[in-house]
Amino acid sequence: MRFFDKQNKEIPEGRVEAVDKVTGSGKFAAEYKVDNLCYGVLVDSTIPSGSIRNIDLTKAKQVKGVVGIVTHLQKPNVPGFATEDLIKQSRFGLPIFHTDKIHFKGQPIALVIAETLEDATYAATLVEVEYNTGGFQVDFDAAHPKIPLREAGKERGQIDSWSNAPYVMEAEYNIKSEVHNPMEMHATIAEWTSDRHLKLHDKTQGVNNVQQVIAPLFNLQKENIEVVSEFVGGGFGSGLRVWPHVLATVMAAKHVNRPVKVMLTRPQMFTGTGYRPASWQKIKLGADASGKFLGIHHQAKNETSLYERFSDQITRVTRLIYNFDNLKTEDALVPLNLSAATWMRGPGDCTGDFAIECAIDELSYKLKIDPVALRTKNIAATHHPDNKLPWSSNYLLECINEGAKRIGWNDRNPIPNAMKDGDWQIGYGMSVGMWNAGRNKTSAAIKMVRDGRIIVQTAMTDIGTGTGTGMKNIAHEMTGIPQDKITVELGNSNLPPAPSQGGSTGMSSVSGAVVDASNALKLKLAEYAALININFKNISPDDIHLSEKGISLKKNLDETVTYADLWEKNKLDSVVVEATSGPGEERKKYAFCSSAAHFCQVRVNVKTGKVKIEKLVCVADGGTIVNEKAAANQMSGAAVGGIGMALMEEKLLDAKLGGLIGDDLAGYHFPVNADAPIIDVSFISKPDPHINPTGAKGLGEVGIIGTAAAIANAIYHATGKRLRNLPITPDKVLG
Amino acid sequence: MKPFDLIKTTDPKHALLQKKEQVQYIAGGTNLVDLMKKNIQVPDTLLDVTEALGHRIDKQGKAVQIGAMARNTTVATDAMILRDFPLIAKAVLAGASPQIRNMASTAGNLLQRTRCPYFYDVTTACNKRKPGSGCSAYEGQNRMSAVVGYSTDCVAVHPSDLCVGLAALDAEVHVFGKDQKKSVIPFEEFHRLPGNTPHLDNNLPEHALITSIEIPENPFDKNCAYLKVRDRDSYSFALVSVAAALHLDGDRIIDARLASGGVAHKPWRWRDAEQFLRGKSATAATFGEAARLIVGDLKPLTHNGFKIDMLKGAVETALGQCLHV
Repeated sequence: MRFFDKQNKEIPEGRVEAVDKVTGSGKFAAEYKVDNLCYGVLVDSTIPSGSIRNIDLTKAKQVKGVVGIVTHLQKPNVPGFATEDLIKQSRFGLPIFHTDKIHFKGQPIALVIAETLEDATYAATLVEVEYNTGGFQVDFDAAHPKIPLREAGKERGQIDSWSNAPYVMEAEYNIKSEVHNPMEMHATIAEWTSDRHLKLHDKTQGVNNVQQVIAPLFNLQKENIEVVSEFVGGGFGSGLRVWPHVLATVMAAKHVNRPVKVMLTRPQMFTGTGYRPASWQKIKLGADASGKFLGIHHQAKNETSLYERFSDQITRVTRLIYNFDNLKTEDALVPLNLSAATWMRGPGDCTGDFAIECAIDELSYKLKIDPVALRTKNIAATHHPDNKLPWSSNYLLECINEGAKRIGWNDRNPIPNAMKDGDWQIGYGMSVGMWNAGRNKTSAAIKMVRDGRIIVQTAMTDIGTGTGTGMKNIAHEMTGIPQDKITVELGNSNLPPAPSQGGSTGMSSVSGAVVDASNALKLKLAEYAALININFKNISPDDIHLSEKGISLKKNLDETVTYADLWEKNKLDSVVVEATSGPGEERKKYAFCSSAAHFCQVRVNVKTGKVKIEKLVCVADGGTIVNEKAAANQMSGAAVGGIGMALMEEKLLDAKLGGLIGDDLAGYHFPVNADAPIIDVSFISKPDPHINPTGAKGLGEVGIIGTAAAIANAIYHATGKRLRNLPITPDKVLG
Repeated sequence: MKPFDLIKTTDPKHALLQKKEQVQYIAGGTNLVDLMKKNIQVPDTLLDVTEALGHRIDKQGKAVQIGAMARNTTVATDAMILRDFPLIAKAVLAGASPQIRNMASTAGNLLQRTRCPYFYDVTTACNKRKPGSGCSAYEGQNRMSAVVGYSTDCVAVHPSDLCVGLAALDAEVHVFGKDQKKSVIPFEEFHRLPGNTPHLDNNLPEHALITSIEIPENPFDKNCAYLKVRDRDSYSFALVSVAAALHLDGDRIIDARLASGGVAHKPWRWRDAEQFLRGKSATAATFGEAARLIVGDLKPLTHNGFKIDMLKGAVETALGQCLHV
């Protein structure tokens, strides 16, 4: 295995994978060379509902190079899908090639396998399908009013107790569906290395998760499935599930008894790997004259597929940030003829926070209280408002103060629609976001080899977040071994097990394991050193410093046993230690959160409706910042994602035809460089005392939770127009 | 995509001899290859004309002749174009992305197909792609569609920015026909309105080649602007765009040119507004009246009514920008 082993000599603090990524030598899932490989291309249904009456493969099979076609009628045995009950129990989602039912337009119904990608692509266009068409509904706006709400979590206080509050804000918010669209398309190479062994190169955010999902479907031991995902070109949540194309590839490899590669096309990325579901929300928010919140009633609905129900848990964040003595949350799912939705960066909270933060902003103008002051007054700064546990750390108020300073909040004219520059109106807006800071049990290993280099290993993937770089930084910090003597291996299921990288838990989870492994390495080396120098006996990791050359005592660095001596005396070639670290009792005593404050300055053109983001300030509390560049990079990316959510991202549907429209990167707009300023990112950078040994809390989500609200609030301040439906495209600004 | 043969020629006469029904010319390929990938165009043979056609940008007296193969990037950065025909450079730079502009040819830019999403989705009805199948956009997702000159058979818009500039400056299209005869088509007569034959984008004779584009001498080198309003600031098509150019004597308008993209099946000239502007003084009030004149005739569809206000604002802004260059 060779992962991130090229040292970045020019920028030693830079990313471990930088050289491999920039030079192209790093391999993404679809780029591996596998002997005897053939190529699969999925055929998608052209209708949104009904069933398959007939599939005619005659013409497709005549294409030179076609080696096989998998359909629901011709397929290898998948024991885990043998009966309807087993399919249900598997909770896999779409039972690909195990049904003649069509649930959405774009549903994969056949996989054509050929010697070349070109042959497979062409033959796939020649598969002729006859359907029995059924009725369908893809229009969320039309469907959701008919779906009743149900309680989402326990009611707090009394919803009626504040209905006569002197200041009440009530409004509805709609957000169109967004699609992850990471740069790298999802791809899988499946190779059966024996009847009982499978090797997968897969674009995923969790190699162990792929093992766990695929193994029972084929009655395999999960250890017998090797999953490799060394380089991942972005995920945003799309890689947290094992999608139908992965199973299709595994089936295809069995069907033709050869390794098969399937890479989704960009349009297939719109229906094959999830999306942030479209949502409707209604907020009723009340306050007394001093601005103290009296209560909130938050209702939310999100679209979902017919074949599996996905709740985005939009009202979860309602219970997180502010003190509401009275709180009621309700939600509902709206099943439509669409593919399955899934978690997308800041899932649920991003959506719920938009409505809450816009409502609070609107209320602040009614109350004539500064939006910053109104939030500061009501933030639950000491305790989690729902479970009442004290925060282990919560520096959101500091984030707000710092953000206000950076954007010059107090220098603005607070009156809406008052600042102008020719045809441009200028406005400022802000919001806050928060995310439950999680941590999962994770293992890491460290191997030291003869020349004193160490290799830090975990199965966790690095989806561009800087996980590998952070691991190297922590190992250096903990051991003393120079950065250029540390390499990282990750993203392979043969390495020590780790959870999927998602929900801002990656660094929080793996950092504890690297700390523990570093300490274990020190102790192991001290044990060997003690056989040479008695002073190394019975010492603690804190007493030990590891250098390029050997192991030393911190209090007397001259007291050193060289690695050369250590290997020779103990007749060793290498030392390997492994450690597992996870959450414990602290979770019963404390609540954990990451948070951020977002401030925005916009210009809005009165004549064309164009919105330009002039400044975007994001100040985050993510606990200890392990690597500032990687962390800031992640925050910038999230903020740009927030610009997309606010101003342009929208999965378009044709309600009459029941399918997507413009499902490519020309039709689906996310921001380009010209749409985003340089994001002003900064961190509070104080360790959380309890979350894990490093104090790092995780940052993946809070960069986007709140961004869209800050932008919408700034547009209001600029124009006096309250726009509650995303995305805010120029036509809505003019409307 | 369907397998195809690729042949190449360095001689335009030879190209014309080889061109027939299932043979398709390819230049930059920035649109054609997409269409082939999506099975919208399925030629048996591609005939590479990149070395058969001129790529030079030459001054012909006071006019300019742009070779068919001049890449968009070359046109946008050519010193003479920037000096004498800046509107053209502005229009080119408003379109596509640097990567696409590096590949795309001048003639190919005229011949690109609409970006109407239904045209690209072979599972839907589209008269332009499959005559007689119907228009899905007419009562479908037509936010990007036409507001003028459309028919119930087709509401697609022409996607080019360069063409809006060429229309404004009265360019001419030089053509080399199957009969080996040269001819010239005035730019405004080059692209067609959809009527009941929306599968025909333009009046280029069958199998003919565009050899060059000529732009006549004009006095619009000082006061011109190209404004494109779009959902994002690069690599997206116009909601509306405006090419505006003024010939001024002090603040008196001697002559004016106004054209738009994103509004019709072809680049659209606003002749009445141009006539209105002639002789008037270049003030915000005058520009506002011209803009009102323009939007008076628009007939928006179900989802693009916003284009009235947006176009009005864009015309006012573009005319205003002509004074601040």
